[in-house]
Amino acid sequence: MSRALIPLASLLFALLAAVSPWFVIKRAFGGKGVLLAPFGLVNPGATRVPEFDLGWVPLAFWVWVGLALFASLAYLFLKGRTRARALYLLGGLGLLLFALEAYAFYRQVAEVNAAALEAGARRPPLKRYSLSLGLYLQFAYALFLFVLARMQTPGGAGLLVRYRGVVVPAVSLLLAMVVGGVLVWLLRPIPGLREPLSTYGYLVAKLDLVTYTFQLLFGPLLTLPGLFQSALIATPLIFTGLSVAFGFKAGLFNIGAPGQLIMGAVFAMFAGLYLPGPKFLVLPAAIAAAALGGALWGAIPGWLKARFGAHEVINTIMMNYVALSVMLLLLSKNEWSFFGRTVHFPFKAPGYEPKSLEISEAARIPLFLNLLGFKGAGPGELSLALPLAFLLLLLGYYLFFKKLELGPRVLASLAAAMAGYLVGGLLPGIPAQVGADLASVRLNGAFLIALFSVAFYNFFMWRTKYGYELRAVGLAPKAAEYAGVKIAQKLVLTMAIAGALAGLAATHYVLGGGIDEYRFKQSIPYNVGFDGIAVALMGQNTPIGVTLAAGLFGVLLTGGLQLNLQLGISRELVLVLEALIVLFIAAGGFLPRYFTDPLLAAEFLKRLAPTREKEVD
Amino acid sequence: MDILSTAFLVALIAGALRQTTPLLFTALGGMFNERSGVVNIALEAIINFGALAAAVTVQLVEAPYLAQDPNVRIWWIPWVGVLAAIVAGVITAWIHAVVTIRYRADQIVSGTAINMLSFGLPSIVLLFLYQNTTASQEVVHRILPISSYLPFLQDFFATPLGRILDQSPLVYLAFVLVPVTYFALFKTPWGLRLRSVGEHPEAADSLGINVFLMRYQGVLLSGVLAGIAGAYLSIDQINQFIRMMAAGRGFIALAALIFGKWHPFGILGATLLFGFAEAFRIQIEGAGVLPSPILQAFPYVLTMLVLAGFIGRARPPAAIGKPYEK
Repeated sequence: MSRALIPLASLLFALLAAVSPWFVIKRAFGGKGVLLAPFGLVNPGATRVPEFDLGWVPLAFWVWVGLALFASLAYLFLKGRTRARALYLLGGLGLLLFALEAYAFYRQVAEVNAAALEAGARRPPLKRYSLSLGLYLQFAYALFLFVLARMQTPGGAGLLVRYRGVVVPAVSLLLAMVVGGVLVWLLRPIPGLREPLSTYGYLVAKLDLVTYTFQLLFGPLLTLPGLFQSALIATPLIFTGLSVAFGFKAGLFNIGAPGQLIMGAVFAMFAGLYLPGPKFLVLPAAIAAAALGGALWGAIPGWLKARFGAHEVINTIMMNYVALSVMLLLLSKNEWSFFGRTVHFPFKAPGYEPKSLEISEAARIPLFLNLLGFKGAGPGELSLALPLAFLLLLLGYYLFFKKLELGPRVLASLAAAMAGYLVGGLLPGIPAQVGADLASVRLNGAFLIALFSVAFYNFFMWRTKYGYELRAVGLAPKAAEYAGVKIAQKLVLTMAIAGALAGLAATHYVLGGGIDEYRFKQSIPYNVGFDGIAVALMGQNTPIGVTLAAGLFGVLLTGGLQLNLQLGISRELVLVLEALIVLFIAAGGFLPRYFTDPLLAAEFLKRLAPTREKEVD
Repeated sequence: MDILSTAFLVALIAGALRQTTPLLFTALGGMFNERSGVVNIALEAIINFGALAAAVTVQLVEAPYLAQDPNVRIWWIPWVGVLAAIVAGVITAWIHAVVTIRYRADQIVSGTAINMLSFGLPSIVLLFLYQNTTASQEVVHRILPISSYLPFLQDFFATPLGRILDQSPLVYLAFVLVPVTYFALFKTPWGLRLRSVGEHPEAADSLGINVFLMRYQGVLLSGVLAGIAGAYLSIDQINQFIRMMAAGRGFIALAALIFGKWHPFGILGATLLFGFAEAFRIQIEGAGVLPSPILQAFPYVLTMLVLAGFIGRARPPAAIGKPYEK
């Protein structure tokens, strides 16, 4: 790392902190805020607020400047352990200062509100107050100093490169947020602007607009209904993300997840409408049907590639359009004329709205709240069946049956989970209250199927012979072929499984009622198939990564709704962020190449650690 | 409907020429980047951004004139739109070029990202300008067919042949570009250099050819041509931008490029095939022969068939898809 980089970063931090809003003492719906910056109060909407004095806190800016200065000097002029110690110390001081400022702010807010209420106000005058960009920057800078300090200690220099699987997506996310922020800065006016602002005020207010945008986007993290809604949105993303990741691992690029999802929905619809029988048979069959539909749709491009060498990228895209046509054919009209003969479709709901009839009761996936033992809004009992089953599954796999072979190990853990489910169902539940906003979220059992798919991906890819062969094909097709792997067969298999994973996303929409009704509706958001690309790349094709990335985009997409309501920014901003993340990850986060190329990374790490090797000798 | 009636044939041929034009522009553009060794599946995005830029620019430029006189028609305004489309296309292509050439990103992933960008970003711009997320305001100044420039030939344009030839200047431009690109690619030193960096960049480099520069040129040229295709869609075929209006043409053009064996005349034939298929679909859509969704799937199925079966053993540029390392 170049030596000038640290002083530059510190300078940038100080400059940004100077023009950032540090606190928002009051925020109205629509984003109009009263902002507290280190050099004064900025009030674009001329909102009336009580006297608010934070005392020493604005002066903390100069402490931060000093901190940044010392950090730069320490980095430039100290060496080795002393440098690490100094940076640790400065980072610790920074964290302490950050905590003190936040505490002072919340205390002052509480005091002002209490005083106003005492003086006869009916409601507290300061609402929706929050920390803002300045404080976030301070926290980030303190962490930055810690990481920098860790890098000075023995074995720390390669830290970032060793964790490149996290660093590259994180840097890409950050860059995408910066570009997204610039877009918002350029396209949106300052909310609630009433009187002309000074240049300083303008900068602060614009930065607040950008900050508020991201506060809204990440807002769902802070409430339980928000988290449920995010999990709801994340469910199909996990499926499609796994689908794309599965292809990537075998060296294939599956852009066909949208089409595979649609075909999964078609098959699930037919199963849900026409399969007779009890629930314990029909529901698994319907889920399998969804997987089958996707698998068939995925296998076709796989076969075309294996047989004719046709590139899967264009073919999967074409299959998306064809699947769209199939959906239109099935749902947009009841009657079609084939060569003059009229054909009637019995499964389409009568009327103009393009959707199917409701699927049978037996094929529906229960809502997640029902699985937890609740009956809807109001008081209820949290059943211990599911949590206990989950706990025993994990404990069984990672603790009790660790010594067994993989197959028995998984089976024994599943048996433990079953036992947990039964025992938990017999135990008395925990009384709890379910709010109306939580009960209205349609998170359903498909979420659990998604988690199981993650586990399946993990086992299949890293613990079985087939997975090993697929990864070998992905890394070095020629070598794999020489070693006896049947490439053509593997291509079809990969695309079929990838398609099945994408098709399973339909269980959420059709069988789980993810879009309000237990039907196949034309409004099914098949574009989540494209989001899957971003999820897979962001998650670096690992099971945990894909799950986390899907969760992240679930949160962002949920928050996007508020963005539209409050700031009039199109929800598509989230799509733009997604696209930018994919682009930046493709470019390795614009980081040096030893972050992206495993061979160069190994070389880099080796060069860093000659001393340690000597010790070994 | 009589398949062999003159009216049907005229409509079919004229429609085919119109459907071929954007594909031809795009595929010729794609030819330059693929010949230079860079895969560009962002062609779809370039068309989208070109279409957006053209419609928005024309609308913004014409607005003050129309405010003064609602009936005013100014000949140069649509061409400013075409220019804007070219600029937008070049910027989009430049992003792809930087990420794939300079930062050696996976070319398919980069292209996909830019395509995703072209699904989301227009909505934000449209909401900012027109308060909706799906379409731009309709423009008055479209590119008109040549009959409007040649009023003294009115009688000719009423004949069947005249109706076929009465196309937009962009249609003529697309077809003229076929021999022009052939000449540029196969008869000039520049074309030789471009092809050499796509075939064997190390050898080209050893001869003093700047591989990166040639690849940048190839990709940016695709931006120019696919951008014009976008303008053709938004301010020529119709009079507004609609979200995702490329509708897969970028990908179909790629298939035509492969089918046409990376050669201008081959591409001409391939895009004509797709153009005729599409025009034929439009012509029989109303006849109730087959449900329209099935007909709409036709060009996409055709693309897959073309990729699978009829290609023969075309040989792509040898170094395609591989980032060059100096």
